[in-house]
Amino acid sequence: MTKLWKERLRRHQLDQFKYLRLIFNDNFVLAFIVLIGALGFWYSNFLDTINQVNVFGKPVVIILFWLIAQSGSVATLLEEPDSTFLLVKEKDFYEYFQAAKNYSSMLPVVTIALVGFLMSPFAFKAAGLSVLSIVMLTLGVVVYKFGMLNFEVFGIYGKDNFKGLSAKNWINLILIALLILAVYLNSFILLIGAIVLLGIAISRSKQICGSGQLQWQNAIAKENQRMFRIKRFYNLFTDVPGVNSKIRRRKWLDFLFKGIKQEQSNTYLYLFARGFVRNNEYIGLFFRLTVIQAIMLCLIDNFYISLIVEMLFIYLVGFQLKPYFKETMQNLMQRIYPVKQTDKIKDFTKLSTFVLFVQWIISAFAILYKFSFSMNSLIIIAAGLLVLVFVGYFYIPRQLKKIF
Amino acid sequence: MTLELKELTGGYGQVSVLKKETFTVEDGQVVGLIGLNGAGKSTTIKHIIGLLTPRGGQILIDGLSLQDNVEEYRKKIAYVPEMPILYSELTLKEHIDLTIMAYDLDHDKTWAKAHELLKTFRLDNKLDWFPQNFSKGMKQKVMIVCAFMTDARLFIIDEPFTGLDPLAVNDLLNIVEEKKQKGCSVLMSTHVLATVQDHADKFILLNHGQVRADGTLDELKEKFDMQNGNLDDIYIKMSNEDQ
Repeated sequence: MTKLWKERLRRHQLDQFKYLRLIFNDNFVLAFIVLIGALGFWYSNFLDTINQVNVFGKPVVIILFWLIAQSGSVATLLEEPDSTFLLVKEKDFYEYFQAAKNYSSMLPVVTIALVGFLMSPFAFKAAGLSVLSIVMLTLGVVVYKFGMLNFEVFGIYGKDNFKGLSAKNWINLILIALLILAVYLNSFILLIGAIVLLGIAISRSKQICGSGQLQWQNAIAKENQRMFRIKRFYNLFTDVPGVNSKIRRRKWLDFLFKGIKQEQSNTYLYLFARGFVRNNEYIGLFFRLTVIQAIMLCLIDNFYISLIVEMLFIYLVGFQLKPYFKETMQNLMQRIYPVKQTDKIKDFTKLSTFVLFVQWIISAFAILYKFSFSMNSLIIIAAGLLVLVFVGYFYIPRQLKKIF
Repeated sequence: MTLELKELTGGYGQVSVLKKETFTVEDGQVVGLIGLNGAGKSTTIKHIIGLLTPRGGQILIDGLSLQDNVEEYRKKIAYVPEMPILYSELTLKEHIDLTIMAYDLDHDKTWAKAHELLKTFRLDNKLDWFPQNFSKGMKQKVMIVCAFMTDARLFIIDEPFTGLDPLAVNDLLNIVEEKKQKGCSVLMSTHVLATVQDHADKFILLNHGQVRADGTLDELKEKFDMQNGNLDDIYIKMSNEDQ
């Protein structure tokens, strides 16, 4: 069984590397570095504004630690056919899940440690916690996460109910209580509590799992959902086969199509516009990025950072629209339509320019809100328009030509 | 409308599936393209509709090749693929609108035709459905409607008889007959020999990417020396020639 796990893991990792390599292409790395830099700059500026211990400090630390403890779950790597082919091996799956749990611990540990580290200056300044306390809290959350993953394995065996409440809810409630006690009283409380929980989980693991029954359907469904979430995330950056995005009718948005006259040169505009509005993936991407941008612009009062955010996000939306064109071009029927290639590109450019234009208008309102009507706000808005023109009329048409 | 294939050679990548394939489809003819799996039927069709580029030889529709005028060439053809290909984001009604736009057809006249076809295939009450709600057979019917409402002169249908219910097969054959009366040509590839035997004027037997024989059923009987045989028998005899 451990052999099966190792083989699955190898294949899984190979898959992940393949996608990660595609995601971290030059454009993305550049955008990523700028974004990290901007966030870091904002964070350090923000820290400078805190000069005394704050009432909100401790609650924020508690909430952040609690949230980060939710990240990551057991990657079982179960597959659909397992419930047919490996049904007879059910008893041996205990080892398999233990291996899966151990592997799944790594990423959360790194994440929690990183967040703990990044949070430390804030926790020190705003919450008045000592360095030792912060280290103890981070360590406590890490140990607690180990315990949580163990309980998740019990869930696979149907042992996820305790006195009418799911084990997950119990564990989260206990975590909140421990975090509050640890932050306000003594940071060792969390670590001790976490060690006790982990001790119980480990010592009784075999017994609990043995008394339950493997919930194949649930476990496989859960793993599929987990995989789907990961792939959908990858799908934002690159094409992932097997990720079919949801289609919604959105009849109330039909008014948007009224302006598209039904004539041959608009064939693809007709198609692209409807696809964009109805395919959750693309409208979702546009919506998320536009909202994040608007919120950032409303909060940041540094001229240069706002300038970067304005330009970067318009570029990002334009850049991320490219796969949509590619996806549509893979449809065989469109290739035999008696429509010119150049019309396809022209129509897609119309769509992308319109989408970016809407984003630009929204961001302009956010900028005017923050900087009011000033030279600075005008410069930022003009810079956004510049990026829009560049992406809409130069970048996208050139990139699309490469796709054919 | 005539379709001419002259010594067509081609395939995917470096492998030549088709080797000097030659045949013609005349005005108002219904032609059955017949062969084993892998004989080159779909490859031939993909070359004709221009999804693959020939490595040698020529394909002419009314003397016009794809290179001469891409748009004109494509307007002459309507194609129904073996596996239905629809846009998941468009409703049935919008598929018809899109086809009208793509082929630059008259909106009202074509919609009248479309309504008739939709009614025939019992789809007229599903205009606002998305493809994901259609069964495979229904999707195929949508493809048929979109193809047959155009003003194309050559209709290419890849394996039309599997997946359709018997009633729809019958309706499709009626529509084919109607188009034939108007002087259009129809080329269909199929394995359902009994059906095609009764409804096609001419047959092209493909084997290993070459035309083994072509002609009417009587001509084929003569060529294979099987006076009492039907298309099935001839087909099996051809397959056995390899051994």
